Amino acid sequence: MTFPRLALAAASLALLTAHAAAEPTKYPLTLENCGETITFDKAPATTVTVGQAATEALYALGLGDKVTGTSVWFTDVLPEHKSINDKIERLADNDPSFESVVAKKPDLVAVQFIWHVGPEGIVATREQFHEVGIPTYVMPADCVAKDNSVGVDGTRSAAFSTETIHRGVRELAEIFDVQDKGEEVVADLVKREQDAVERAKALDLKDVSAVFWFSSADMNIDPYVAGRKGGPAYMLDKLGIRNIVESDEEWPVVGWETIAKANPTIIIIARMDRRRFPADDHEKKLEFLKTDPVASQMEAVKNNRIVVMDAHAMDATMRTVSGIEVLADALVDLGIAK
Amino acid sequence: MARLWWRWPAGIVVLAATVFAGTCIGETAIPLSVVVQTLANKVLGAAYPLDPIDMGIVWNYRLPRALVAASCGAGLALSGLVLQSLLRNALADPYLLGISAGASTGAVTVTIAGIGGGAVSMSLGAFAGALTAFLLVALLARAAGGGVSARGTGQIILAGIAGSQLFNALTSFIITKSANAEQARGIMFWLLGNLSGVRWPDVTLAVPVATIGLVTCVWYARALDAFAFGAESAASLGIPVRTVQTVLIGLTALVTAVMVSIVGSIGFVGLVIPHAARFVVGVRHGRLVPATALTGAAFLIAADVLSRTMIPGQVLPIGVITALVGAPAFALILLKGRRRP
Repeated sequence: MTFPRLALAAASLALLTAHAAAEPTKYPLTLENCGETITFDKAPATTVTVGQAATEALYALGLGDKVTGTSVWFTDVLPEHKSINDKIERLADNDPSFESVVAKKPDLVAVQFIWHVGPEGIVATREQFHEVGIPTYVMPADCVAKDNSVGVDGTRSAAFSTETIHRGVRELAEIFDVQDKGEEVVADLVKREQDAVERAKALDLKDVSAVFWFSSADMNIDPYVAGRKGGPAYMLDKLGIRNIVESDEEWPVVGWETIAKANPTIIIIARMDRRRFPADDHEKKLEFLKTDPVASQMEAVKNNRIVVMDAHAMDATMRTVSGIEVLADALVDLGIAK
Repeated sequence: MARLWWRWPAGIVVLAATVFAGTCIGETAIPLSVVVQTLANKVLGAAYPLDPIDMGIVWNYRLPRALVAASCGAGLALSGLVLQSLLRNALADPYLLGISAGASTGAVTVTIAGIGGGAVSMSLGAFAGALTAFLLVALLARAAGGGVSARGTGQIILAGIAGSQLFNALTSFIITKSANAEQARGIMFWLLGNLSGVRWPDVTLAVPVATIGLVTCVWYARALDAFAFGAESAASLGIPVRTVQTVLIGLTALVTAVMVSIVGSIGFVGLVIPHAARFVVGVRHGRLVPATALTGAAFLIAADVLSRTMIPGQVLPIGVITALVGAPAFALILLKGRRRP
């Protein structure tokens, strides 16, 4: 019990010192961001976002009034940001066109995923934005120790950690010269994470395993599950749970035979608004687990240890922390300690 | 024919052995004794105490997969054989009729464009797309004066190419218009062929369709022999050319559409297997038809096993395996064929 307390104390201390240490940003500011060097002569007055995580990070920093357009929405905006979000134009639910972003003449484009602005950028490449004088910032969670050219969703060379989320928040805060707010947001994320970890530690879990099922291309087909280095893997690792999947890919395809044989203690299924495949619906996932002749025999299904989690928390975003909280609470509720 | 009768039971034994091997080998290690006991429990009503997960994997995942793989392999190979013989074109394969392209369009329409709102499954969309494409190709060939008539077998090949191009373009259009990278990959995985979603209901569809295909081809074996010298020679031998062509090409379209809707489009089986079988048993369809069906069945079971075991804990699309094996095999056939006078 001493370790978490100590960590908590350290976090509080970090919070205090951070508050004391935060200084105004000195412009021109130069940052290394996902392989590109970006420079700001002053704080951006306006910004367009590509990716919900980037949007919500800016809202959390109290920068909603600087956002002139948003895009790439996966789910509803967090309730605490609804009022500000309602006032901001949504350029596109999915990928915005290059021109719609440029037309806003933003001082910055803040991006969640490399694949929107990477070498094969769907919206445009970063160079194209830079050519028209618009700097781009990509959330480091999608590029630090991650090769986006390998595997469909990229492959991580090192495990994801919420450190990269904190880094993204801090760097955005620095760009906009709101560093005090940045430290406050990070301290809150750290504290929430540590509280959740402490709740799980108190359960004294032994040999608990899990699998994250995101979706499947067709109902009975091999599912997309979380690899061992992404956001979900981080949650499991922090809470002392073993991931049964051993792939470095972000969302590898793994057969039900392998999953059933591994027989995880818990199954976490994604809830999302997307309805492209039948299995996007978490009710359909539940139905499959309960009716499939093999999947229904798994311990997790027989003992009803199925946790429903918001899909956006499974991506590497600020919401990862909510995911850790949901999972920690579920561990308590499911009474797995016994 | 008396000399040949034993080949049928021998073929069935080989097929059963391949299916059994497909049931024994999978992503995870399940002891042979467990597989045998599971089969005894399910088929003979024995009551060996077994882990329900092991039993389920063998009976509900692996056996249906092996049976469907066998049916698809046989069905696609036979379709290829029929088209190669009827059209007298060594490069003919079932996807020539635009069926694969149409299936892709159907699948994409359902999943990406969202027609059906999630209620229509991808495989149903693929089936509808496959048949639509074939009908279009058949109509075009007929309008071009060829179709399935005695003279212009070239027209159906050209019509098939046009149809494939059209439907591939439609697929690309839908993907570009309304999908992002993340959406497209689910489709691509499925389109390259995948047997992981196969369960018993698929067996009850695939096995009868493959059986009908086999029986029909055996029935028309002599007619197919006659087509080797062209439709006109076949007609002079008293073969009802138009009927045979219509029945067999229609059968090919149906078999292929059903198989594609169950497992996605698996390339090269329809093209390569008939050639491989010809090397072994010669050109007479009395032997060639069963040999092609058997080789196709065994090949696809093996490809499926490979696709699931090559990368431990992860699955490769089966189409990648069939092409990896199929392309070099086809090259070999080409080289060997060149040496022949």
